[in-house]
Amino acid sequence: MLELVDISRRFGDKPAVAQASVTIAEGEMIGIIGRSGAGKSTLLRLINRLIDPSEGKILSGGTDVTALRGKQLRAWRARTAMIFQQFNLVNRLDVLTNVMCGRLYDIPAPRVLLKWFTAEERALAIRALDRLGLADVALNRADALSGGQQQRVAIARALMQQPKILLADEPIASLDPLNAKLVMDALADINRRDGITVLTNLHTLDTARFYCRRIIGMSAGRIVFDGAPEVLTEPVLREIYGQPGQDVLDERVTSTSLPAGALAALAS
Amino acid sequence: MSAVDIAAERARHPEVFRHRLWLPQVLLAAVFLYLAYLLWVFDFVRVFTDLPRMWVIVRLMLDWSHFAEWDHAELWQSMLETVAMAYLGSMLAVLFAVPLGFLGARNIIPARVFHFVTRRLFDGLRGLDQLIWALVFVRAMGLGPIAGILAIAVAETGVLAKLFAEAVEAIDRRQVEGITSTGAGFIGRLRYGVLPQVLPVMISQTLYSIESNSREATILGLVGAGGIGLRLSERIQINAWDQVAYVIVLILVSVAIIDTTSRYLRLRLIGGTNN
Repeated sequence: MLELVDISRRFGDKPAVAQASVTIAEGEMIGIIGRSGAGKSTLLRLINRLIDPSEGKILSGGTDVTALRGKQLRAWRARTAMIFQQFNLVNRLDVLTNVMCGRLYDIPAPRVLLKWFTAEERALAIRALDRLGLADVALNRADALSGGQQQRVAIARALMQQPKILLADEPIASLDPLNAKLVMDALADINRRDGITVLTNLHTLDTARFYCRRIIGMSAGRIVFDGAPEVLTEPVLREIYGQPGQDVLDERVTSTSLPAGALAALAS
Repeated sequence: MSAVDIAAERARHPEVFRHRLWLPQVLLAAVFLYLAYLLWVFDFVRVFTDLPRMWVIVRLMLDWSHFAEWDHAELWQSMLETVAMAYLGSMLAVLFAVPLGFLGARNIIPARVFHFVTRRLFDGLRGLDQLIWALVFVRAMGLGPIAGILAIAVAETGVLAKLFAEAVEAIDRRQVEGITSTGAGFIGRLRYGVLPQVLPVMISQTLYSIESNSREATILGLVGAGGIGLRLSERIQINAWDQVAYVIVLILVSVAIIDTTSRYLRLRLIGGTNN
């Protein structure tokens, strides 16, 4: 169980996340929605400890994650794998090496420097790639792949970390509808089959509704909604997305996903 | 067009008929006059009166009839020595510049004071020309290639460390963030997040450093720091112009070979997938 207790983060004077409190059970798949700048990315980065909170605590099974340093901090980061909107792969390395980077946290320094990966690490990496349908591009350079493929490589790297939690920061915002579906399906599959908790920022409401049984809405750094998609009614959406006196957005206009019929046609 | 039409146009667009200022022309003339005065002051006529002597030298340079009597072993050995000096000096510089480059990059070590100190150190090493370093090292180590190697290594460390540090500062932060998020430590982040991004720059700069230093190293020989430059100055002093020409040809050919090789290596090393 992961608990965020009154967590805040300011950049200068500007609060990015303000007194956010959430409890996340193991195995949940949660979508975080909100306008850009609402603090969604910051929230995920706080959980992975890429940035430190200004106030508040993150608790995992009773231990205070915000106090971790050194080797323990690195172990925590490995347990909370992260994928990014821009994939954040190392462009000039091949796909396999990128995936094997997911194990850097417990490889001793000399082997890290020499790029010496064991047969077991290689086997784990190719298995992860195979699961995401990318085994045949394992030795290609990462930047030679399409955006959708790169995001799946990033997911393979995350799997390589054998995480408890997978944090996805706008994983499909840079992808076309079909690749977006592939990536979201992969995340859902990982959640269901491996029991890994998935926490994903999404900028399209219908994706969140379709994939997540729990949705968290953020506005101006605060958590303003936390519940099932069915309870996500128009007044709530207005609070999350809208400005006073402005009509709420039509979900179909902002959507990047294909209608169900079109997907069925493509699949056949 | 009649005079009346012209007058009408002049009345309508007076600015078109205005004569341009003559100041630029006067200034131009003044510059030319000054130039002429300077040439007279510096006794420029000698260029023409002494030209025949230049021709004598050129003619001597082209006469290679004593080719068989020249000390080829010595000249070739010195040429190789020069190339070796350039190579060893550059590689020593790379050895120091890679860690210094990482340390001097603001995004690796964010401490301001440290950044300032390392950058001024690079400036200091770079600020003095190789020739000056060579003079110092010849005094300290005596004549020979060791002084030349050290002179190249010291000056080039400053150059490369600065270039490497700037390359490290220009990397894409997101790729490093991706590595950090997996739980990788400091070394892992440098090795997989930073190094692959800067390696092409490092390889390219290193090859260029070897190229340019094998040209520079001929000059170092002139102050006694070993290599072909020393042979060149000896032969100029005894007016052995045919051999001077031969040495120049040797230098040009060596530099051309090194340039071609490094271009080939650059393509092979940087075009590839993995670093």
